[in-house]
Amino acid sequence: MTPVLTVRNLHKAFTLHTIDGRRVVSLEGVDLDVATGEHVAIAGPNGAGKSSLLRCIHRTYLPDSGSIVLNRADGPVQLVGLPDRAMARLRGRDICYVSQFLEAPPRTGALEVVAEAARRRGLEPDEARTAAAASLRRLGIEEALWDVDCGVLSGGERQRINLAAGTVRPPRLLLLDEPVSALDPENRELALNLVKSLTSEGVAVLAVFHDLDAIRRLATRVLRLDGGEITAEGTADEVLGTAPERAGTGASS
Amino acid sequence: MTAQLTEPAPSVRDLVGAASSAAGVLDEGAKREIRRAILTAVCVPGYQVPFGSREMPVARGWGSGGLQVTLGVIGPDDVLKIIDQGDDGGVNATNLRRIVSSVAGCETATDTRAATVIQTRHRIPEEDLGQRHVLIFQVPVAEPLRGVQKSVAECVRMHAEADYSAIWVSLYEDIVRNGFITTSTGYPVLVGGRYVMATSPVPRWDVPRLDQAAHLSLYGAGRERRIYAIPPHTKVEPLTFDDVPFEVEHVPGARCDYCGSDDSFLVDAPGGRYVCSDSDWCSRAVAGRVDAPAHRERAPLAWLPDRARRATATGYATAPAVPPTLPAGQNEQVPVSAEGWLLKVDRLGKVFGDGGAAAIAGTGPGHGTAVSPSTGAIVAAWDVSFDVAPGEALGLIGESGSGKSTVLNCLVGDERATAGSVRLAAIDGGESDLLALSPQQRRRLRIDTMSIVYQDPAAGLDLRVSAGGNIAERLTAAGWRSYHAIRRRAAELLDRVEVPLSRMDDPVATFSGGMRQRVQIAKALATGAPLLLLDEPTTGLDASVAAGVLDLLRGLLRERNVAAVVVSHDFAVIEALTDRSAVMQLGRVVESGLTDQLFHDPHHPYTQRLVAAARR
Repeated sequence: MTPVLTVRNLHKAFTLHTIDGRRVVSLEGVDLDVATGEHVAIAGPNGAGKSSLLRCIHRTYLPDSGSIVLNRADGPVQLVGLPDRAMARLRGRDICYVSQFLEAPPRTGALEVVAEAARRRGLEPDEARTAAAASLRRLGIEEALWDVDCGVLSGGERQRINLAAGTVRPPRLLLLDEPVSALDPENRELALNLVKSLTSEGVAVLAVFHDLDAIRRLATRVLRLDGGEITAEGTADEVLGTAPERAGTGASS
Repeated sequence: MTAQLTEPAPSVRDLVGAASSAAGVLDEGAKREIRRAILTAVCVPGYQVPFGSREMPVARGWGSGGLQVTLGVIGPDDVLKIIDQGDDGGVNATNLRRIVSSVAGCETATDTRAATVIQTRHRIPEEDLGQRHVLIFQVPVAEPLRGVQKSVAECVRMHAEADYSAIWVSLYEDIVRNGFITTSTGYPVLVGGRYVMATSPVPRWDVPRLDQAAHLSLYGAGRERRIYAIPPHTKVEPLTFDDVPFEVEHVPGARCDYCGSDDSFLVDAPGGRYVCSDSDWCSRAVAGRVDAPAHRERAPLAWLPDRARRATATGYATAPAVPPTLPAGQNEQVPVSAEGWLLKVDRLGKVFGDGGAAAIAGTGPGHGTAVSPSTGAIVAAWDVSFDVAPGEALGLIGESGSGKSTVLNCLVGDERATAGSVRLAAIDGGESDLLALSPQQRRRLRIDTMSIVYQDPAAGLDLRVSAGGNIAERLTAAGWRSYHAIRRRAAELLDRVEVPLSRMDDPVATFSGGMRQRVQIAKALATGAPLLLLDEPTTGLDASVAAGVLDLLRGLLRERNVAAVVVSHDFAVIEALTDRSAVMQLGRVVESGLTDQLFHDPHHPYTQRLVAAARR
């Protein structure tokens, strides 16, 4: 398996100048690898730094130090210190980040949001709309909602639109932050199956789920993150303990 | 003293008598100056040469300019003819003829063939003019741009830079309003392919006679103190769009009541009749002493009005004949530097006040002030660097007074930068510093290389001109000369920015604020400039209108391969439009990064305050 993402000794802290320069440490030397076709799940309590880790890789947060290497077809790219423009070009093309909440421009419809994501992948406008339509259908978004302002749709619909945009074309690296937290069981199945099929197509997935059932079904490997450090690594059973009928913490469905 | 007092004061009659027995109305020095101006005017066809216009024994506006030119060139061997509206017998012509012939000691004639110097008001004689003729025009308004530009200095600049788009817009507006060009006299012409000139007020009928004429034409404007000329065999073209023909005045079926001519310039006479304007020509035609076939050859019959060829004024205002498609799209090849940028700004600085770079010490965010403690100068921007690639939008964000608009003004040339360099990949492959170019060269860049959209639409538009005319201004500046192509392009652009085509021909002054801003955006896009600068494009608009304009801009930036710099104090605008941003405070860039990173993970205290303020 080819490594797609290699993170070493990643540090991130926030200095809050508005509160007398208080310092909040988020990540303290994280190491991890994700290879093609691998689904690495990050487990851990609230505030452990799970989302921060994904955001540092996507540069929604600016890492303080460490190394984040993305292996592309034409060689490895060091993302820490990469010029903003180059980073902007990797985003949405090689790296897709699906956050928990849809961050779409105001007053745009689902089809436009997803088609724009497809265009960033290099598709022509017509192809992009076709791909966007397919992606929305795959996640069960009714056609009648495609041109409705995303801002007025339900939480579950918005979450699926977000996932549709992130997966409109299989990226090299897919970062998922609680992508099914607002979904009903039926739609949750659709979404989880989609992620599973992408992994089997060779996409490297790094995901944060509170839903332990989802982790057990999808993850090829699990990391426990606690207090900004990786405290355990292994299979789902090794890290989370053998599954009872229903796993405890934070399972939302 | 006593002796002088006892002598009788000279009477007016004595003074006039003394003057008429002396050398002339003008002394030799004045004539020499006039001849010098004439020589310059002949050397630079169509260019208005200033001269020290003297008081004449006729009132200003009664031919004083023509009279000075005539007195400057005429000699005792010349034969003088003076006409007023083609008529040798008018009171004014008669008086002027008497003055000139008496001081120059020359013969006079009414027969054009016998004359060598012809002074005229408002006509070119019907007779063939040749090398032996000097035609001198009395000019009431020398400046062809006067109607579109009140500032004398600005007119001079426009001539110097051959920047005639304003006059093209006035022609465009005339056709839009009337279906054809209604300017009847003093029609603007391009002389020798360089200067636009007012044809004194001769009728359009006479304008084709000026092209490649064998005679010398001199123009004297006494009130405006200008002399200009058309040397023999000079190309003279009336300004017309390629697809809207120039027309001369014509009343179908009209003939001169005296000589029966239908190919000379006719004027109304009492009783619904028409008569020749040129009295000499007409009387000789009656007597059969003219070469009528040769005259017919000279007559501008090729330019008679033809309704079939006229532009349909409202053609595109109701329904575009061609469905709107925008040619300037992402497929266009945009030049970039080896590093991929289209625009590169390096250590740009602007200091208002004394001291230049010496005023910098003690200013900036670290000192909490933009005012130099040493010189009192205001350091509006300093050490600002960024670059932008095609297909990318860069935001400049900061509160009022942080220097972001100053940076934009320095880029576009509205302000002169104090320090730094600005490079464009489209200019010398990015080798040249734009700040080192002349103001003229920088203004040229604004035609089709960089466009700016101002916060206030009045800064980027002429509110008296129609929406289409404002776009025509940019297109004609870029060399567009097809009326229909201009209309089609303007319609496409207005359609794209969602301005109803039914409003295309209305003055922008009648538009709402949001609609004006849309027109300004359409104008900025007109020539497909690869660099677009947006200065608070939605700030002056109320919320729902601002949202519409913001959505429009987002769509435009997405579909076009332009490099954009967006200045705003509003994080929502920057977030919607840009990929990368720089945060400015007190004239300095305090932080830059990916726009969403700046919003989610601001590092600088100022940015954190800005983000906190933006969260609603």
